[in-house]
Amino acid sequence: MGLFSSVKDKLSGGSNRSGITEEQVKEALAKVQDPDLHQDIVALGFVRNIVIKGDKVSVEVNLTTPACPVKEQLKAQCESELRAIPGVAHVEVTMTATTRAAQRDNNAAVVPALAGVKNIIAVASGKGGVGKSTSAVNLAYALARTGSKVGLLDADVYGPSIPRMVRITQLAEEGGPNVIIPPLADGIKVISVGMFTQASDATILRGPMAGSVIKQFLTQVQWGELDYLVIDYPPGTGDIQLTISQTAPVTGAVIVTTPQEVSLIDVRKAMSMFKTLKVPVLGVIETMSYFVCDGCDKKHQIFRSGGGERLARESGVSLLGAIPIDPRVAVGGDEGRPHVAAFPEAPASQAYIAAAGAAAQQLSILNAQASGILNQFALEWKN
Amino acid sequence: MTSTAENIRVSAIEQAGPRTLAVTWSDGRTDQFDVVKLRRSCPCASCIDEWTREQRLKPDDVPETIRPLRIESVGAYALKIHFSDGHSTGIYTFQMLRGLNL
Repeated sequence: MGLFSSVKDKLSGGSNRSGITEEQVKEALAKVQDPDLHQDIVALGFVRNIVIKGDKVSVEVNLTTPACPVKEQLKAQCESELRAIPGVAHVEVTMTATTRAAQRDNNAAVVPALAGVKNIIAVASGKGGVGKSTSAVNLAYALARTGSKVGLLDADVYGPSIPRMVRITQLAEEGGPNVIIPPLADGIKVISVGMFTQASDATILRGPMAGSVIKQFLTQVQWGELDYLVIDYPPGTGDIQLTISQTAPVTGAVIVTTPQEVSLIDVRKAMSMFKTLKVPVLGVIETMSYFVCDGCDKKHQIFRSGGGERLARESGVSLLGAIPIDPRVAVGGDEGRPHVAAFPEAPASQAYIAAAGAAAQQLSILNAQASGILNQFALEWKN
Repeated sequence: MTSTAENIRVSAIEQAGPRTLAVTWSDGRTDQFDVVKLRRSCPCASCIDEWTREQRLKPDDVPETIRPLRIESVGAYALKIHFSDGHSTGIYTFQMLRGLNL
C-alpha cells in the first residue's frame, strides 16, 4: 500500500495541494522520543508510509516490539504533534511492530535450528517453588497476546510441568531424521521432556544424558521463525543451565523470586551465573507478592515485602513486576488454562502482561545497543 | 547494561594470517592471537589441573604446525577451537582472551 499510495500521491501532486509536505510531517514526528532508546522515532526509522491527502495525514509507526508498554503514549504524542502542523485537520497513526533480532552470526549459524529465533529469554530462579514455570508460561502467553510469535521450551528435565500447564497431552512428533515438531498450545510452540514420556513416569537420566536432551531441544526442534523463545530453566545453577547457555545465544534472563530473604540468596547465585555467562539480566519478577482478599481491598503482604525490589535495586536491574497471589493462578496451571489467557483482566494477569512488556522493552534496548555484535559465529580455518 | 569490560562481546572474527586469529571486540579493540600459542594455553581440564591449576600440557609437545580447523562461539561468553590434533575441549572465555598477551 505504501509504495502504491506514495506513487499515486506523486502523480496527482496530492501532497502539495494542501501545502503539507512529507518534511513537515517528519519534522513534527522527530519531536517524539522513544523513552528507552533515547532517540526520536524518525531517526530510529520507526516512521513509515507517510500519506498526505488534502488536510489528512496518515502514518505508520513501526515499533521494536508489539509488547511495547508505551505504545499508547507514543501514539498519542504522534497524533498531537501531527495535529500541530498548520493545515492538518485529520490524523491517523497506525502502530505496528517488527521485533528486532539480536545480532546474528557471521556465516553459517552454529545452531541452525535457532537461526530464525530473534530473541531467547531465559526464565530462571535460584531455587524451586517460586513460581518460575508459572511465570514462564504466563510471560509466553502475555507476549503471544500482543501478536508476537512465541516458543516455550521446558528445560526442567526432571520435573516437566509445562505440558500440564498448557494442556498438551499428545507426544511430540518426529518430522524426519533429527527433526522434532513441537506441538502447539494456543499458537505457542511448546517442547518438554513431558511430551516424550507418560505423565506418571519419572525421567531417570544421568547428568550428561539430561544435557543432551536439552541440547536436542535447542538444535533439533523445528522452531522456525520466532520473535521470542522463552526457556523455563530448571532451578539452580547446574549442568543444564550451563548446557543451555553454551548451546544457545541466550539474549536475556528474567529472574523469578519470592519476597523472602532465603529465596533471594539463591537468586543472587543465579544472577552471578548469568554474569559469568555474559547473559544480561532483563529484570526480576517477584511472585506471591501480596494477596488482595475479597473482603477488603487491602494488599496483604503475606511473605515479607519488597524482596524483589531490594534485589533489583542492589543489582541494578529493574523489577519487571510484582505478581499478587491469586488462587486462580494455581488452578489455571493445574487445569492447563494459563491465568493470562483465562482471566486477562485479573490483577495477576495484568502484572504478567506488564512484566512481559517491560522485558520486551529491555530486549529492544539491548538489541539496539548490541548492533554490530556477533551473537553466534563460526570460522573455518584455511590452510 | 552499557558496554563495560564485563560484557565485552565479539563484533568481528577473522583469520588474519596463516597462523593468526584476529578478534575485534565490541569496544572497538582488535587483538591478534597466534593459534599455536592459543593451543599451548588451552584452559581445559586435561591441559590445566582443575585443583592445582598447574599446567599439565607440555608446551613443547604442541608442534608449530598445529592449526585450527574451525572456531565457533560458545553461548555469549566464549569461543571454542577445534584443533588439527583433535583437541577441542578448551573453552576460551572472552575475558580470558582479553587478558592473554600472545
